[in-house]
Amino acid sequence: MALTRRAFMASSAALTFAVGSGGILQVASAEGGEAQGLAANAWVRIDPDDTITIVFPSTEMGQGSSSALPLILAEELDADWDLVRIEQLSRDDRTFGNPIFGGVLYTAGSTGVYGYFDSLRTAGAQVRRLLMQRAAEKWSVPPDSLTTEPSHVVHAASGRRLSYGALAALPGPLPAIPEVSETDFKARGDYRLIGQNVPRRDVPAKSSGRESYAIDVRIPDMLYAAVLRSPVEGETPLEIDDSAALAVPGVLRTVELPDGVAVIAEQLEAALTGKDSLDVTWTETAPARAFDSAADLADYTAAADDAARAGVAWRSVGDAAAAIEAADRVVSADYLSDYAYHAQIEPMAAVAAVEADGHGAEVWVGSQTQSWTMRTITEVLQTTPDRVRLHMMTMGGSFGRRTALTQEYLRDALLASKAVGRPVKVVWTREDDVKHGAFRPAAAQKLRAGLTAEGRLSGWHHRIATPSVIAYFNPLRWDQVAPTDIISVRGSESKFYAIDDLLAEHVITERRARLAPWRGIGASYTSFAAEAFMDELAEAAGKDPLAFRLDLMNDNTRGRRLLETVAERAGWGGPTGETALGLSFAGYGDSMAAGIAEVAVDRDSGRITVQRFWAAVDAGLIISPDNALAQVEGGIVFGLSSSLKESITTEGGEVVQNNFYDYEILRADEVPEIDIQLQVSDGPPTGIGEVGTPMVAAAVANAFHALTGKRLRHLPFTPDRVMAALA
Amino acid sequence: MTDLVVNGESVTVDAAPDTALLWVLREHLGLTGTKFGCGAGMCGACTVHVDGQPAFACLTPIDSVAGSAVTTIEGLPGADDHPLKRAWVAEQVPQCGYCQSGQIMRAAALLEENPNPPRQEIVAAMSGNLCRCGTYNRIVKAVQRAATEA
Repeated sequence: MALTRRAFMASSAALTFAVGSGGILQVASAEGGEAQGLAANAWVRIDPDDTITIVFPSTEMGQGSSSALPLILAEELDADWDLVRIEQLSRDDRTFGNPIFGGVLYTAGSTGVYGYFDSLRTAGAQVRRLLMQRAAEKWSVPPDSLTTEPSHVVHAASGRRLSYGALAALPGPLPAIPEVSETDFKARGDYRLIGQNVPRRDVPAKSSGRESYAIDVRIPDMLYAAVLRSPVEGETPLEIDDSAALAVPGVLRTVELPDGVAVIAEQLEAALTGKDSLDVTWTETAPARAFDSAADLADYTAAADDAARAGVAWRSVGDAAAAIEAADRVVSADYLSDYAYHAQIEPMAAVAAVEADGHGAEVWVGSQTQSWTMRTITEVLQTTPDRVRLHMMTMGGSFGRRTALTQEYLRDALLASKAVGRPVKVVWTREDDVKHGAFRPAAAQKLRAGLTAEGRLSGWHHRIATPSVIAYFNPLRWDQVAPTDIISVRGSESKFYAIDDLLAEHVITERRARLAPWRGIGASYTSFAAEAFMDELAEAAGKDPLAFRLDLMNDNTRGRRLLETVAERAGWGGPTGETALGLSFAGYGDSMAAGIAEVAVDRDSGRITVQRFWAAVDAGLIISPDNALAQVEGGIVFGLSSSLKESITTEGGEVVQNNFYDYEILRADEVPEIDIQLQVSDGPPTGIGEVGTPMVAAAVANAFHALTGKRLRHLPFTPDRVMAALA
Repeated sequence: MTDLVVNGESVTVDAAPDTALLWVLREHLGLTGTKFGCGAGMCGACTVHVDGQPAFACLTPIDSVAGSAVTTIEGLPGADDHPLKRAWVAEQVPQCGYCQSGQIMRAAALLEENPNPPRQEIVAAMSGNLCRCGTYNRIVKAVQRAATEA
């Protein structure tokens, strides 16, 4: 529920706390004029009725941080979770920004929990201490004689207790904001909420059809828009014949957009029929018309092969070239991966109600960033944020899709609403979503490593030829980080192994498709290449893949335990029959995962089935074990789906695929039994949303090799590629 | 004008006879629990019941269901106390949640047909519905739980 100023002013003597990444910035009682200004900026608010409202600064796309983040604050506040209300932040207020992204409100990269962990703990601890000080003054007792129980301050010696709401309602001056440090935080053994399986708050509504997504929004006087977008990036309408579209009952008019034509209608079905009735001639002159995915992979391979072509070092340790040169043997292999589509089940949608002067709007949209959504609105309407009432909606999946600096589906809703002077809902069809998607880039990778006479690794060179994702989806960010692109190459750092001489480098190739971050970002293909290659090295060294990896773990005891755990769970080393096991070890940021796939192959059709998957994961402190398991399981399914099936191809600059019939994703009858062991360690939380994905592809490829003696080096492992490998 | 019976109530809809039931449910009647995913019968997010049988609302023209009983997630008996909804919560199935109405409607049709289906039958029945978050194994567990607790 949105916290309106009216509701705030109507309540008496609530306490509000504005919190920054370093802790509380301001505190105020609702009494007095000053507080009215603070209400618009409050992270935590305690009402006399004991309700505690906590702002959720990220956005929710299924990862569960709308429960996990407020829960961290509630833990240190020692709040009764049942009294906590969660409020979605729907403004670009950098006070609430993710420290990982320099304060930008950006929900990506599995950074929600670990990025906000210290801010939320600090805020919770400060508010708790402030309430204890109030109680100490009221009872005239030393603050250190007080303790808390959920939502209560307790004076054990006298048996007195006051609820947080009652303390908030006390009259009198507010204490100074207390300083807190690491030693003031709860010991982990004292946690009441973190580490327990506190149910997610969003699950009941999502289990009954009541959750509302952007595509579900209906407001009075609303019209619908369907948008015919240019089939090739960069082309614009040359001639528009909309006579047939306008003849569709319910269609009101068309609106020309920078790269498309919107059909505006009283009903969605009329807008969609009208869109199909448009006859548009496009400029056919864009360079993108030459784009062809088969050529892309060939050209990226040539770039990877071209030793004269400099790469941007992503991680460099020692002297990889010298170590490989000095090695007894050199092993090398090339890996390819296709473009991949997000396939979130909710197609792009947005509702905009632009005001008559064209510079104010109310907007309903789902995105992974309040900051860039607000920027899209203010840029399109040439306005300022104070003229915008934004509603950040929960998303029907996203996986990186709604992250860009400029959000075209939202832009279209704004332009359409402005043109017609009424609220407009833009709904993309699945075909729109596929054809105008933004993809994981295609990549060609070259791995080279040396082996000593004893079969030990000596020098590792990982060269990735792929475009920069950041340069396309967020040019402002690229200005800050160029030429280093974490999204294109993450995972290739291979930092969990002790490798003395390593070079991972990015050969930045020409961009030939719309690109976006995609679950696991670069690690979804770099870890495929690295971990498939690790098995090739083990084979060349005559060693067991598990032993070969354990030998590289050195002092990474957490990683070693993961490998040992997953090997034990899967029965590694047993006989191979109709199925075989494949091992992989990958991670995401500082989170690590070991995985084993059990694979069977139909040699007549080339169809791979993954029958079981075991994983062991270390992501530091886990806020909710049950949700962590769900995220890892989802990440594994995502990885399997992309490993076995998913490929976007382009011809003449157009995306070839259309819908789920030619871009298939994994179905229930293709999902293996999945066994996940969470290894809870003493470290801080390091992120759980993506760590399940990067290990998967190599585990499948390595199992395929164990079964058939053949290597799969091109993602995805579609039946035609499997048959070619077996031939 | 087409007369429909939706969740037990008679409604008259001002829409062309070939309009997809999905648009009528969602945009004309405001029953947005039924979701649009693909428009091609490939994802199952729009699954509803027509006379008790599961159907893709995106491929169902309204004139084909005039006089039939259409049931959406909002019309499942018992509101949040429905065994499947309870099981979905108990197993903490949803992540993004977008596909789950369709999953629940598919599961409800299955349990209507066979109140105690073996695992393989559940998996087969649920394979018409996509979930990109990868909640498939929890869905199967939730259907099993609902079958046990119903």
